[in-house]
Amino acid sequence: MTPLFAHGETMVWLTGGALALCLLMIVGLVVLVIGFGGGTFWPAPVVRVETLDGSVCMGEVTRDEGYRPERSLLEGVPADALDRTWAAIREGGGEAKRRLVRTGNFDLEGTHFRWIADYAVKDETRPEWALVIERLSWGRFYGEPKAFLVDGKPVAEAPADVWRAFEERHAEVRDRYEERRRLEREEIGDINRKIEEARLELRRTEIRRGKDSPEWKRQQAETERSAAELNAAFRAVRERIDALNRENARYELALVTAKGAEKTIPLAEVVRAYPSNRLGFGEKLGVYVARWGEYIWDEPREANSEGGVFPAIFGTVAMTLIMAVFVVPFGVLAALYLREYARAGPIVSVVRIAINNLAGVPSIVFGVFGLGFFCYIIGGGIDGLFYGERLPNPTFGTGGLLWASLTLALLTLPVVIVATEEALAAVPRSMREGSFACGASKWQTIRRIVLPRAMPGIMTGTILAIARGAGEVAPLMLVGAVKLAPELPVDGHFPFVHAERSFMHLGFHIYDLGFQSQNSEAAKPMVYTTTLLLIGIILVLNFVAVAVRTRLRRRLEGVLPQARTHA
Amino acid sequence: MSQTSPPPPRRRRRRSVFVIERISRCLITAGGLGTIVAVSLVFVFLAAVVVPLFLPSSAKEVANEPVANAWRDTPPSEIAVDDYMRVGWACFPDGSVECFRLDTAESLVRRRLFDGPPPTAASVSAREEGGVFGFPDGTLRFATIRAAARAVDPASLPEELRGIPAGSPVRHGDGILERLPDGQMRHTVLDTRVEEPIRIEPPSKVLLVDSSRHGDTVRVAAVTEDGRLVLESARERPNMLTGEVTRVVTSGEMRLPQLQGREPPSHLLVSGIGDSTYVVWADGFAVRIDSRDVSAPEVVEKLDLLPEPRVRVTSLRFMIGRTTLAVGDSMGRVRGWFRIKPHDAGTKDGAILAMAHDLERGNAAVTAISTSQRSRMLAAAYEDGTLRVFEMTTEKTVAEVAAGSPLGRIALAPKDDGIAGMTAQGLLSWRLHARHPDVTLSALFLPVWYEGYPAPTHAWQSSSGTDDFEAKFGLWPLVFGTMKATFYSMLFGAPLAILAAIFTSEFLAGRTKARVKPVIETMASLPSVVLGFLAAIVIAPAVEDFVPELLSCFVTLPFAMLLGANLWQSLPGQGRRGSIRAWRVPFLFVMTVAGIGLALIVGPVAERVLFAGDLKLWLDGQRGTGTGAWMFPMLPVSAVIVGIAMSHFVNPALRRISRDWGAGAMARAELVKFLVGFAAAVGLALLLSWLHGLAWDPRGSFVGTYVQRNALIVGFVMGFAIIPIIYTISEDALSGVPEHLRAASLGAGATQWQTAIRIILPTAMSGIFSALMVGFGRAVGETMIVLMAAGNTPVLDWNIFNGFRTLSANIAVEMPEAVKDSTHYRTLFLAALVLFALTFVVNTVAEIVRLRVRKRAYEL
Repeated sequence: MTPLFAHGETMVWLTGGALALCLLMIVGLVVLVIGFGGGTFWPAPVVRVETLDGSVCMGEVTRDEGYRPERSLLEGVPADALDRTWAAIREGGGEAKRRLVRTGNFDLEGTHFRWIADYAVKDETRPEWALVIERLSWGRFYGEPKAFLVDGKPVAEAPADVWRAFEERHAEVRDRYEERRRLEREEIGDINRKIEEARLELRRTEIRRGKDSPEWKRQQAETERSAAELNAAFRAVRERIDALNRENARYELALVTAKGAEKTIPLAEVVRAYPSNRLGFGEKLGVYVARWGEYIWDEPREANSEGGVFPAIFGTVAMTLIMAVFVVPFGVLAALYLREYARAGPIVSVVRIAINNLAGVPSIVFGVFGLGFFCYIIGGGIDGLFYGERLPNPTFGTGGLLWASLTLALLTLPVVIVATEEALAAVPRSMREGSFACGASKWQTIRRIVLPRAMPGIMTGTILAIARGAGEVAPLMLVGAVKLAPELPVDGHFPFVHAERSFMHLGFHIYDLGFQSQNSEAAKPMVYTTTLLLIGIILVLNFVAVAVRTRLRRRLEGVLPQARTHA
Repeated sequence: MSQTSPPPPRRRRRRSVFVIERISRCLITAGGLGTIVAVSLVFVFLAAVVVPLFLPSSAKEVANEPVANAWRDTPPSEIAVDDYMRVGWACFPDGSVECFRLDTAESLVRRRLFDGPPPTAASVSAREEGGVFGFPDGTLRFATIRAAARAVDPASLPEELRGIPAGSPVRHGDGILERLPDGQMRHTVLDTRVEEPIRIEPPSKVLLVDSSRHGDTVRVAAVTEDGRLVLESARERPNMLTGEVTRVVTSGEMRLPQLQGREPPSHLLVSGIGDSTYVVWADGFAVRIDSRDVSAPEVVEKLDLLPEPRVRVTSLRFMIGRTTLAVGDSMGRVRGWFRIKPHDAGTKDGAILAMAHDLERGNAAVTAISTSQRSRMLAAAYEDGTLRVFEMTTEKTVAEVAAGSPLGRIALAPKDDGIAGMTAQGLLSWRLHARHPDVTLSALFLPVWYEGYPAPTHAWQSSSGTDDFEAKFGLWPLVFGTMKATFYSMLFGAPLAILAAIFTSEFLAGRTKARVKPVIETMASLPSVVLGFLAAIVIAPAVEDFVPELLSCFVTLPFAMLLGANLWQSLPGQGRRGSIRAWRVPFLFVMTVAGIGLALIVGPVAERVLFAGDLKLWLDGQRGTGTGAWMFPMLPVSAVIVGIAMSHFVNPALRRISRDWGAGAMARAELVKFLVGFAAAVGLALLLSWLHGLAWDPRGSFVGTYVQRNALIVGFVMGFAIIPIIYTISEDALSGVPEHLRAASLGAGATQWQTAIRIILPTAMSGIFSALMVGFGRAVGETMIVLMAAGNTPVLDWNIFNGFRTLSANIAVEMPEAVKDSTHYRTLFLAALVLFALTFVVNTVAEIVRLRVRKRAYEL
């Protein structure tokens, strides 16, 4: 009988263990991201904690951890209870638990968070009417309602009445606020744009004709006239905004914090408020969904740590699409050339190997190339030729949507070329020969026989390239992704797609928020959510790629040979 | 035409087909070739940006004009040129200043700065825009001397001057008028101002004087005829409300050491922040005075700058920042000295003056030195009429020109774009085109002695807040960081990926395999920014609390696996198609989790036993011994030793006695063998570590102080990132081994394991090698993970618990701030080019190996 060790069961198990570990890590990672990202918008109960030394705070518990406190650093314990507490901790093996409470009220207390150790807790309650208020500025507010004010006079004082009054009024106040924002963004933005255009026109004339020329003088008079008109228009819009603001300013919410401080918050400042401890499951779900809605459709607030990521989603999508517009035709052309037209030989093999290897070149290298070549050389040249009036402010001579797309197109080109080439190679010779034998020319054969058959491969390559492009961040840091872009790269003004504008990107958003944020603890939920979103998008793209491949392949195998040869 | 004679339809179609055919051929060829060219453009462009770094600089003579007789009789003590290389000014021993045109040597104006007796000492430079003069009556006077350029309104000029062409300056008043390309008029005139005298008490003739300004503090030092060194420090404080300036003056003095048979000192220099004062004699003897406290200066070091006999100091200047001394001597050498703080200085202030740079030696004595106002360049003139421009930090000879006769005074232009020099006959000037003197190939990759460092070092520090900052472009720490990241991540990722690939390809049933492989491949598409973020924000803080547990995993996981295997063997029902076979994979997962659980138990124990109860304190070297550190390398080593011993001695013996044993008995024997072997391996490792730990404590080398973002985290997460790549390619290589080889081996009676390890693995070896290369290439260039999780400090430290900075992360951090076409910018491009070339070569090798393998597989 073969000795057992010849079966090498132990070694097999080692290899199996490696695979199991890999799978566990992947699953762990995905669960981690889903857990952190998916749970972060769920409304947590509001706790009111009184510590042994008499201080009080109220807020949401964000996380807890075990730690080994040091005697001199026991917080929230008065001097006389110190010995007792310390003895209790020692008994428990020196370990203590503490929780991080998001206490908000930054404008009153100067911090967003507070650690509270379990040993220091004297009393803990969940006040029924504790409100969580998400504000436009200063972060969240936690407090209990005291009164609802209209024109500075209280109209409701019992918590339930205040809450009812708030719910009645809040929607319309928000509508007015949105209207105001629209006015500011569209109408005032329009006026500003016209002023800027006039200024540039004047500067253009100055560069072309000089400051002494009659053209310049005429232009200047024109500019002044239009400036007066625009100023009048501006004042009109401003008045409408003021009216909206005046109406909104009438409604205020008076609150009292856990420490007893009073605070009056204008209703227009409130993005969302809810009495967390009173909510049932359905209402919690409502808040959860509303938050996701805000996250996906709204603009960021508070240095990106609140609000939504719509500009980042939009920027990512726009950049990836423009990238695809460049990469797919050129990738397919290059593959067609290599596979169908170039004479097979050592040179073509070398080119093929080189293209294959480009896929392994670090993405940051492409970023460096993009910055140096696209932004500085090409962009700088375009600026000098067409945008002289804006210099020294660069237009194309700095990072922007177009350059980022082109850089990523270069980066993902090998993916498309390789996939297309493989697909072309997989088309059986017999089909080509059949086509030639029927008298079709080479192009006809390619268009009617080869390309349709290779379509699944090309589609897969495209989707994989998009997935890779969407997840790539390092080169974007050099060629145009920014922390906060004031305007979307696509809008209603001519020429609609502003390829020179810098843009926001989900991946860069993660990097920036996770690393450069002032209030990193408060930004964490946003980063987790963005991570979930990005991973979700990329995984979906990958699955779609696989699905498209299988589906098209299946369809082609069944239908194509008869259906297409007629056409 | 088509109406009169319609061609047959068949023919017309043909022609259009031909046209389309030709168009499509052209389009595809153009598009294809264009794309390929565009891709190769990446390399060409990167190289084109890098190349100017290494191109030589050049200097071209632009003027050589005779000077007035008055200059020949009393040559100036100092000359300087303006920002635009149009005019120069010269300061003469009698205290007068003359402004002249550089192109024609025509004198524009000559001004006496002081009434009364001429100064007996002066320290004047273009960098300070003037300087300080000392007088026989013991007074010191500051003076501002500069060529001031201002824009003038053309309307205010005389008619004939308004139309002068751009680029050809004319004389106007005491200065020079020039039209700029944009039409503006620039007038450059000499601007001088003399301040109130400062008196030295008791008065004595001033022999040497020097001053330095740092912020709002001015320091003056003077050597007097009666052998004293007098120091003055004046601090100017403007009152914010009244605008009045109050001046706080501190002064002090000391006797200079009396030196037998020596003349009075020849040079006096005050360092940039005034903390050191140097008095140097012509024979090279130098005294360093600690003048941090002005009221109590103190000699802290005496040394000989030129130990060789009869060699004299001929020129002595400060480099920018007034820290490094450039000493020119009569042997034609120019050498850089600065103060360093070694461990064993032996001086009162713990510092010594060290000769750090020895520039290329000239053929004759140095006659003059001029140091740059914006960089670490200097120009030196020699007795034989040559002039050289050097870069002090890199010791590079930037340019060399010949003047014909010795240059007595030289001046490097403020923008480093020109040099002016005076011979006994004439005034010469050169246009200098210094490309990137602060970078040489050796300075990029070899240690360089930077100002203030105790020894030559590798350093990367590309920018700082101050102007006189010495940029440190040593790429080695970044290359090292890249290697460190790659090494640790390959150490973690490669074995896991290859083992997992072997299992998938050889021991996994087809259906499971079809599910497992896409899962791992999906991992490849995870954006690295996500991995980096998780590494830094989630994993790094978590790992910090569980280091011993994590380290224990490297022992407990294999242990759990091996134990699982042995237990599995001893289970009944091991038939060929045994019923429990389907449970193997689930059981594997259970054992993996058990291994992790075991680590949670073993971790604290290991920390107590090996790491003195607290891993972090132990890593700091505060407690415990080196034994624990040796366990890291010794455990695998002794595992291998025990394994070999087992297979050589125990297995043959076992085979002999076990001939007629049943499967159960054999399995039990195996289990005992494994447990004994494991205990032996751990024991051996402990013994070896203890022996080594007595001799040498490795803390501070591959283990050391714990930093939260470190190589362990990066190794773990980047390993995770490269696993799918290595896994996929290896698995393809293993599965690509022709089925008939497998069948033949199994048919010949080999077990599945023997087939896998003796037949499949060797055949697929080069494919696996290619997988490793591709994984390596990915790890080398990975940016986001290291950027976020590696801490980004450019240190040279193998310590697995310390951070590092890689080439890629460095580019990502610094590229947005680098000024286009600056040295920094080009150096970053060089880093990118290195990455590009490295990964390209590695991938090409992998690809060629892969193709060859495929060919061989066909042949099999």
